[in-house]
Amino acid sequence: MDGKLKEIVLENSDVIVQKWLEEINSDKEKSNIKSIPDELFETTNREFVNVIFRSIKNNMEPASVENFAEKVINLGWPLSYITDGLQVFRRVMVNYIVNQPAEQRDIADFTEVMKSVDDWLDPIIRQLVDEYTGSWEQTVSMQKVALQELSAPIIPLVDNITAMPLVGTIDTERAKLIMENLLDGVINHNSQVVLIDITGVPIVDTMVAHHIIKAAEAVRLVGATCILVGIRPEIAQTIVNLGIDLSKFPTQSTMEKGFRRALELTDRKIVEFDRKDENVENLIHSIKGE
Amino acid sequence: MEPQSFVEIKEEWDIVGARQMGRNIAKEAGFGTVDQARIATAISELARNIYLYAGSGTISYEILEKMGRKGLIITATDSGPGIPDLSLVMEDGYTTSGGLGAGLPGVKRLSDEFDLRSEEGKGTTVQCIKWVR
Amino acid sequence: MRIPILKLNNYLLISIQTEIDDNTAIQFQEDLLNKIHQNGSSGVVIDLTSVEIIDSFIAKVLGDVISMSDLMGAKVVLTGIQPAVALTLIDLGIHLQDVPTAMDLEQGLVKLYQELGE
Repeated sequence: MDGKLKEIVLENSDVIVQKWLEEINSDKEKSNIKSIPDELFETTNREFVNVIFRSIKNNMEPASVENFAEKVINLGWPLSYITDGLQVFRRVMVNYIVNQPAEQRDIADFTEVMKSVDDWLDPIIRQLVDEYTGSWEQTVSMQKVALQELSAPIIPLVDNITAMPLVGTIDTERAKLIMENLLDGVINHNSQVVLIDITGVPIVDTMVAHHIIKAAEAVRLVGATCILVGIRPEIAQTIVNLGIDLSKFPTQSTMEKGFRRALELTDRKIVEFDRKDENVENLIHSIKGE
Repeated sequence: MEPQSFVEIKEEWDIVGARQMGRNIAKEAGFGTVDQARIATAISELARNIYLYAGSGTISYEILEKMGRKGLIITATDSGPGIPDLSLVMEDGYTTSGGLGAGLPGVKRLSDEFDLRSEEGKGTTVQCIKWVR
Repeated sequence: MRIPILKLNNYLLISIQTEIDDNTAIQFQEDLLNKIHQNGSSGVVIDLTSVEIIDSFIAKVLGDVISMSDLMGAKVVLTGIQPAVALTLIDLGIHLQDVPTAMDLEQGLVKLYQELGE
C-alpha cells in the first residue's frame, strides 16, 4: 500500500513541487525571512524539495538532509523556515493524494494516507531539528567557555603588586570562579597588594558588593591587602544609597591612585628623574647669559 | 567506592575521621580543592553538632547523578533531643554551646542545597548537596 | 598530640602541621598562654600553611587564643592561610577581622615588627 502511494507521489513529483513552491512563495511575505533575495530563496527551496523527495524515494537519506541543514544554518535562516516548509509539504501532498481517483490510490482510508506521509516526513523533520539544536548548543557552550576565559585575569604589575580588572556582569557562579582565581593568583605571584579594578562592572548592587567584600576579606586572610579601584561616581552613589559598608576596605577612584597607594603599602614610591627639557632650558639660559 | 557509605560519630576523634572521609570522597568525585575544603568543613560542623548535642549519630555520603550533573549528598542523622526552634539555629551568631554560632548557617552557605528537619525528643536530620562544577 | 612551640628571641613561632582535633586545639591554647607567660614574649606567629581545614570550632579557639595573648601583651600574626581555607572561613561567616595576617613566616615576622612598632 505504502509502495503504491509512494509511486503516485514520485510519479507526480513535478505537480506537487509546483504546488509547494507556490504556497511557500506566498508564505514568504508573512514570515520573517522576506528580506532574503528571491533568487537565493528559490534555489534553496528547490534543494529543500529535492532533499525531501530523495529522502522519500530512498527511505531516508541522512547525509543529504545533514548537508542541507548545515547550509540553511549557515545562511542563518530560522528553524521556522524548515518546520513551516515541511508542514506545507505535508498538506500539499496529502491533498494531492486524496484528490486522486479512488481506484488509482488503492486505499480510501484518510488516516492511512496520513500515516504514510508522516512516516516519510517525520524522520526528516526530526533530523533537521536535531541539527539546529545541536548548532545552538554548540554556540552556547562556546560562549560559556569564552565567558569563563574572559572572567578574571590576574596581572602582575611590579614585585608584590598585582591587578585584577573585572569586566562585565558578575553573578554568583562567576564570583566564585573569580575569587578562586584571585586567591590562587595572589599566592602564586606572592602579592602583598592586589588592585581590583571595577571600572568595567556596569552595575554594583548589594549582591555584587557582597561578593567584592567577601573577596577582599579572603584576600586579607591569606595575608595580602586588597584595594578597590575604578569606582565611578554613579557606583559610589549606589553603594552609599544601598547602605553598603565598604569603609573597611581601602578604595581609590583610579587605578593610578590605587597603584601609588600600593607602592606606599610596600614601602616604595615613584621617583621621577630630572626632566631633559629643564636641562635644555638651562643650556639656552646659559647661552643667553654670555 | 560504594554508592553510599557512612561514618558513626561517637567520640570527638570521629569528627576528624568523618571529614577526612568526606574529603576523600569529594576528591574522587572530581570536586576542586576549594569545594573539597567546603565539603570537609561542612561535615566537620555537622559531626560536631551530633557529638555536642546528641552524643551519637551518623554522617552518610552518597554520590548523586542527575541530569548530567554529579553531586555529593551529605546526611547527618541523630536521635538526640531535636531542635526546638529551627529559625533560631539558622541565625548567625546564635549558640548554646559557647561557639561562634556559625555552624548551621555556615553549613548552609557552604552547600548548594540544604535541608534541616528536626522533631523535639526524636532527633535531627540535616541534608546538604554540593554539585561538581 | 601536642603542637610544638618554638622560641625566637622575644617571639614564639608555631607551625601547625597536623590535622587539628578539638582536644589538640584546646591543649595548644593552654600551652601557648603558658609559654607567653614564661618567656614574656611580645609577639607570636602561627603558621597555617599545612592546615587544610578550619571549621568554626577551631576558628573560635584560634580567635580566643589571639584575644587572650593580646591580653597578656603578645601580638599574634596568622600566616599561610590557604585560599581554600580562606574561602571556607568567609562562607562560614568567620572574618577574624582584627587579626593581622601575612602570606608566609618571613612576611609574618615583618608584620610583627610593624605591629609592635619595633
